[in-house]
Amino acid sequence: MTTAHSEEALKTLMLLSLNGDEVAYRHLLNALRVLLVGYYSRRMGAATKADMEDLVQETLLALHTRRSTYDRERPFTAWFFSIARYKLIDHHRGSGGRKLAEAELGEEIESDFSEEAVTARMDVERLLDGLPAKQRELIRRVKLEGQSVADTASRTGQSESAVKVGIHRGLKALAEKLRGGA
Amino acid sequence: MRKTDDIIDSLVDDLKPVPRQALLLRFALGILPALAVSLVLMVTVAGLRPDLSQALSLPVFWIKSGYNALLAITAFLTVYRLARPDGSKGHFFEAVAAIFAAMAVVAVAQLLRSPAEAYPVLILGSSALHCPFLIFAFALPVFAGNVWILRRAAPTRLRLTGFISGVAAGAAGAWVYSWFCTENGMPFVLIWYSLGILLTGLLGSLLGPRLLRW
Repeated sequence: MTTAHSEEALKTLMLLSLNGDEVAYRHLLNALRVLLVGYYSRRMGAATKADMEDLVQETLLALHTRRSTYDRERPFTAWFFSIARYKLIDHHRGSGGRKLAEAELGEEIESDFSEEAVTARMDVERLLDGLPAKQRELIRRVKLEGQSVADTASRTGQSESAVKVGIHRGLKALAEKLRGGA
Repeated sequence: MRKTDDIIDSLVDDLKPVPRQALLLRFALGILPALAVSLVLMVTVAGLRPDLSQALSLPVFWIKSGYNALLAITAFLTVYRLARPDGSKGHFFEAVAAIFAAMAVVAVAQLLRSPAEAYPVLILGSSALHCPFLIFAFALPVFAGNVWILRRAAPTRLRLTGFISGVAAGAAGAWVYSWFCTENGMPFVLIWYSLGILLTGLLGSLLGPRLLRW
């Protein structure tokens, strides 16, 4: 976020807007419009541009008609993105109303499949691919899936010390790859 | 489709200052007249309990009144938070459980101090079958008031908000009803009053997703 879009800047604009300052309000709406395009485009992969524009407009309208629900003592961006999130879920739910369960599902999808989480997981997989199969499996079991060394040893038919050594070598190889700027 | 620029223009044109307590004011405007309607209905249709002057000196009358009032206040405060998009239910269910448990202790204490012959009167009274439905009926004006408030607010958890606003209306309706009801049994209140309140809560959770959507 740039400074123009920081919590403090936006909150100041919102407080002025609530007092009826039209210039501040126009600044606020334009800034939020930019933020919304970013927010929705990260979360609506396959959506058409028109869909997204619709959602941005609807969210700005909601901010306008529901602005009395903003508590001046609390963070503005948390309030505003709660509206954006609600509008996104409502959009996915469709006009007629599929099950509300989906709305609750949306919460998990958002955190599990956020851009950061997905790219981080892909990076790890790519790094692991460069390791010998045996070490790769040990690291996956113990370090990624959180199984114990003893469990892994009995399941892969190795001694515990062999498992530890395998993991140690694998991690060392990974570290070298990273240092080499792979 | 309108361009976003045009929408922003029209929103800026429409901007009016918002008073600091706008949401609180809307709650007052939605709840108080509805509660008055409910009270007037009770006085005109049902009538105050005939022995009211004696009842006012009984602790059981005020415990009954207090139980409903406490539940109503707890639920209304939670609805006030949930009316905001970033609001949470807080400790609503824990608070309700505590109030219910306290009432259960009072009910058991009353039973322990009474002879077994009195149990049917204390538990079933003479109005167990229609009590929950009358509470439901007296709750409806307040429930309508809640819906009126929330349709202009921004709740994001519609079923939960519907449920708790139903509980708030139910407890307010039960409080109104307690001025008419002649039962002095605390187990009666614990069971049948709570049932009426729960009934209104279920109505709220059923209608919430439909009525409160925005």
